[in-house]
Amino acid sequence: MRLLTHNMLSSNIKGVTNGFPLRIEVEKMVEKEVELNMDFLKNMFAKVEWRALVEASRSMGYSELPDEADSSMLDSDEFLRKFHHALLELHLEEGALVCPETGRKFPVNKGIPNMLLHEDEV
Amino acid sequence: MEMTGSGLPPCSRWEYRTRPLCGGALLSSASTRFTPPSIASKSGALIGCRGRFSSPVFTSIGTSGSGSRCRRGRRMSINAAATGTLQKGIAEFYDNSSGIWEDIWGDHMHHGFYEQESDVSLSDHRTAQIRMIEESLRFASLSDYSLKKPRSIVDVGCGIGGSSRYLARKYGAKCQGITLSPVQARRARELATAQGLADKVSFQVADALNQPFPDGQFDLVWSMESGEHMPDKTKFVNELARVAAPGGTIIIVTWCHRDLSPSEESLRPEEKALLNKICDAYYLPEWCSTADYVKLLQSLSLEDIKAADWSQYVAPFWPAVIKSALTWKGITSLLRSGWKTIRGAFAMPLMIEGYKKGLIKFAIITCRKPAS
Repeated sequence: MRLLTHNMLSSNIKGVTNGFPLRIEVEKMVEKEVELNMDFLKNMFAKVEWRALVEASRSMGYSELPDEADSSMLDSDEFLRKFHHALLELHLEEGALVCPETGRKFPVNKGIPNMLLHEDEV
Repeated sequence: MEMTGSGLPPCSRWEYRTRPLCGGALLSSASTRFTPPSIASKSGALIGCRGRFSSPVFTSIGTSGSGSRCRRGRRMSINAAATGTLQKGIAEFYDNSSGIWEDIWGDHMHHGFYEQESDVSLSDHRTAQIRMIEESLRFASLSDYSLKKPRSIVDVGCGIGGSSRYLARKYGAKCQGITLSPVQARRARELATAQGLADKVSFQVADALNQPFPDGQFDLVWSMESGEHMPDKTKFVNELARVAAPGGTIIIVTWCHRDLSPSEESLRPEEKALLNKICDAYYLPEWCSTADYVKLLQSLSLEDIKAADWSQYVAPFWPAVIKSALTWKGITSLLRSGWKTIRGAFAMPLMIEGYKKGLIKFAIITCRKPAS
């Protein structure tokens, strides 16, 4: 699961007012090289929740992203590379996504998050 | 878990009983106050789930503004335990069957769109399945010429990701797919990686009735032949609308039963009997009509609602699937896939019967979420 995906997932457990962002618990993480696509990154920048991406990448062991970012930074190649790396190249293979309010863990196995709620969470 | 196939006791007026799929103890639930006539039949344990899921909102819709809602017009709560059982059944069905389907038919697990009933070869079916995607986009006015291309897409009930990959490629968009089947999610991801789309599409095991996304995320909400699995159509449509971005498009392509006439409260008994048999084999909760979907979308103040009956354009599909199942490869694969898949195969002629009788409709319903 890439952080691009993580940036879109939230906990919808009954009673939770803000289930985003999910905390990440890493058991196994890999880095996979992905070809950089500038247009894609520029499009995605507007849709990405930046703080959530920064926190998530730090929990994956990558601390190069600045705390704040604005679209003017997209002109910098170095920023684009870091953004690209955090968004697309860090993969959580095994671990869990944790609901920020309830602490409930959604398992991630073989890179696939299981977001199914239990009967009492619906 | 093997289906016991045992019957259910007739449902008493104010109490509802269900037998779980494993044939275990009867459960009673006071939370569902409902009188489903279809319950008293013996075609299998899933009927219990089906009755429980049936929302009375979906009966006696009609187009008249007579204002006389029948008693079953109240919304009822859906029992979470029975939903869980159905979901497990769906997941296992697709865990078992996805491989054989992909082997013979490829990565699109939906009907093809055919110009007219004609003798088509298996290779034409793949073209037809792609045409189904294109025609659906066109119907929703999302053609190649539209100015606003979707940037983020959710594929609700994504199977092994055929639509996700196709749409991501077509629009250069990011696509999230959700499925109940872990096997499908893994396979979808494998295929995406193999096709160089790993950065654009991702797949999650998740519930369409509780989508793990914040509100307003997606420019295009895509549900290609998954609606028929949803035990709570109201919740299903609510979630589709919730995750749609303002101005976003929702496309639902699904199996429905025929619209009821204004004087009808429900389908005829023999029609229900036929659908029940199909439900058992394909892990479907109770069916609703196209008109029911339209009403739901209207109730959510969605705009540009359009619906059509495409049954005539999918007519060659089931005969072709049956033909493919009867090949040597088909039969040996079925035997390897297990009982659930085999039972699904036996139900195919029932689908043809349903279409021929005008009972089953292949429907498309599209709309737009208001921009503000």
